[in-house]
Amino acid sequence: MRARRSLYLFTVPALLVIGLFFIHPIILTFDMSLTNYKGIGEANDVGWRNYERIFTRDRYLNEIWLTLWYTVIVVSALTVTGLFFAAMLHRLPLIRNFSRAALYTPAMMSFVVVGYIWQFLYSPLNGGINVALRDLGLGAWEQNWLGDPSIALYSVAFTQIWMFTGFTCAIFLAGFAGIPEEINEAGRLEGASSWQRFRYLELPLLGPSITVSVMLTTIGTLKTFELPFILTKGGPDGATRLLSIDIIDNLFGQYKFGFASALSIVMLAIVLAVAFIQNKVLRDREQS
Amino acid sequence: MIRVLPAVTATAILLSSTASAQTVLDVVAWKGNEAEPAGLPELIEKFEAENPDIDVELTYVARKDVDAVIPPRLQGGNPPDVTMVDSSLVDLWGGAGFLTDLGTDSAWYDQMVPAVRNVMTTDGEIFVYPLEVIGMGNFVNMDLLAQAGIDKAPVTLDELKAACQALSAEGIAPMIFAGSFPAMLYVGANGIDPNGASPAEYGSGERQFVGDDNFNASLDSVRDLVAAECFDPELQAGLDPWATAPQEFRSGNVAILPQGAWNIGGFSAVEGLNYQFAPMPSAYTEHGLALDLVGPGWAIPRDAANAEAARKWVDFFAEEENLNVFLEAEGAYSPFVGGVSTMPELAAPYTEARAQGSLILWPFSTLEFPKALQSEWEDSITGFLLNIDGDNEDTLQRWDDVVEDNL
Repeated sequence: MRARRSLYLFTVPALLVIGLFFIHPIILTFDMSLTNYKGIGEANDVGWRNYERIFTRDRYLNEIWLTLWYTVIVVSALTVTGLFFAAMLHRLPLIRNFSRAALYTPAMMSFVVVGYIWQFLYSPLNGGINVALRDLGLGAWEQNWLGDPSIALYSVAFTQIWMFTGFTCAIFLAGFAGIPEEINEAGRLEGASSWQRFRYLELPLLGPSITVSVMLTTIGTLKTFELPFILTKGGPDGATRLLSIDIIDNLFGQYKFGFASALSIVMLAIVLAVAFIQNKVLRDREQS
Repeated sequence: MIRVLPAVTATAILLSSTASAQTVLDVVAWKGNEAEPAGLPELIEKFEAENPDIDVELTYVARKDVDAVIPPRLQGGNPPDVTMVDSSLVDLWGGAGFLTDLGTDSAWYDQMVPAVRNVMTTDGEIFVYPLEVIGMGNFVNMDLLAQAGIDKAPVTLDELKAACQALSAEGIAPMIFAGSFPAMLYVGANGIDPNGASPAEYGSGERQFVGDDNFNASLDSVRDLVAAECFDPELQAGLDPWATAPQEFRSGNVAILPQGAWNIGGFSAVEGLNYQFAPMPSAYTEHGLALDLVGPGWAIPRDAANAEAARKWVDFFAEEENLNVFLEAEGAYSPFVGGVSTMPELAAPYTEARAQGSLILWPFSTLEFPKALQSEWEDSITGFLLNIDGDNEDTLQRWDDVVEDNL
């Protein structure tokens, strides 16, 4: 019994760190969200007014919806592309290491560099993509990639997918490495095709990797700020204005620290809710 | 040796006491680094030569970082001795009581351009020594204009439309009109009558944008520019005004770019780029309308440790020859009456418009328009360009809503 108690004592330093550096700032942020604090001077209590504003204005509800939709697009695409490349590379051991490194390279680049490069590629005036389409005789497919509200969000999402496909691919490759070779061998002996082995043998065994990949990319994407900010600054006309961009705009553009804190708390609640539900569903699926 | 030792010790003590008597002036600014020196290294050297008991320690803090770096120091009672501020920081920090009133009895106060003085003075107090006003207007590629048979930068709406048609006929892209900043400059220049209602009336909700003849006419005139083939609104609505647009002008791909004079240094570094900086064509003037943005200035925090030395620093900039070094490096105009123009010859059309009194202070830089309205202008004008045949009311109502939210 005494030994058990002393075991709990060992968790105290970790709990202190979590309390001091994670829980305490959240409490402070919540406290600030109930004020009209401008980042300096007095903070006057305004009750729930900031939250009332968030949930009664279409603008903020649209941003929440846009953030969730953006996450669905990016996470789905990252999971499918990562899985595709991992399955391919698992079957091509000769080029696996080189390709894995090449695919992972964009994820190691700075968001700022990636953002500016893609901004020039997407430019409607002599941008690389439109020029390439024109040169290939596909001029009719030219688009105002970042300027057309109906496709701007997908253009930004594509850049993020391009950047992080290598990341999910690496997770799935680790998952493939954990599948015993005997299982594939047995499949081959039974005459299963490559697709059948992937669908009925490998995919179910990749359950834990899928959980890890989906969880990490979901949390990361819900908080996405850099790429939409650099590529479009939330435009055109709010078409890519995710919650995180409005938080920064309210903080440093308009000095509404209290309101930005309320938005941050809403964002935290969304991230926690999505992560909790996702974790539950994926874990249940793994066990079934 | 024993005799020499006391003498050496005494000298060392004397020197160290002299050193400790030096005042270290802690100055924070978002200019003065290698990328944007603004003449500060030269001015610091001169200041230190004139004030041998003061060492200036300049700390560069990017403007976007100032909001995070300085407030904790102001609130903790450990501020820099002098800090660079702009109008929004003056409003925020001055309003919270963290800046020193520089006094309306200062020698330089009466010399300020009246319009600047009026917007910078709050309840009889002035918290900032303004350093510059920066022009915003059209950068015009004169070589491309010459190819279309035009030898003068357009300063009226008719000249602008004629230039667009001539350039377009030659297969030259006439104009950048990105939905955010460049379009804002045009709409502002054609919505704010320099001899009409004050922008503050709109910003305070006293006057509404919806139904306002000037702003309705301004949006209508954008449609005229489209009809004159100045630009394709759908193509340009979402164009990035800070990276892609200047790059297009720098590369000689487009003839006219609405932007700020802070680009003069960068554009002048491009070999073979023959351009002029001109005022914005406006319905209210035949000279073109100069859009002056009130730039940064110096402020002394309330708890500055070396307030006296800080005063000397501010007074040093109040001397015209010193301020001119800063202005010349910045490509900016003096906020004081009678200042010598340090602008290059290529900005002659803009300078001429100012000389004719054809100018307004950009209301977002004077806070006559609330800060939140700027992003709404950017968004809504982008939306307007994407749906150019839509009702003006859809755009203007959004501005009134933001003003109302900020009251």
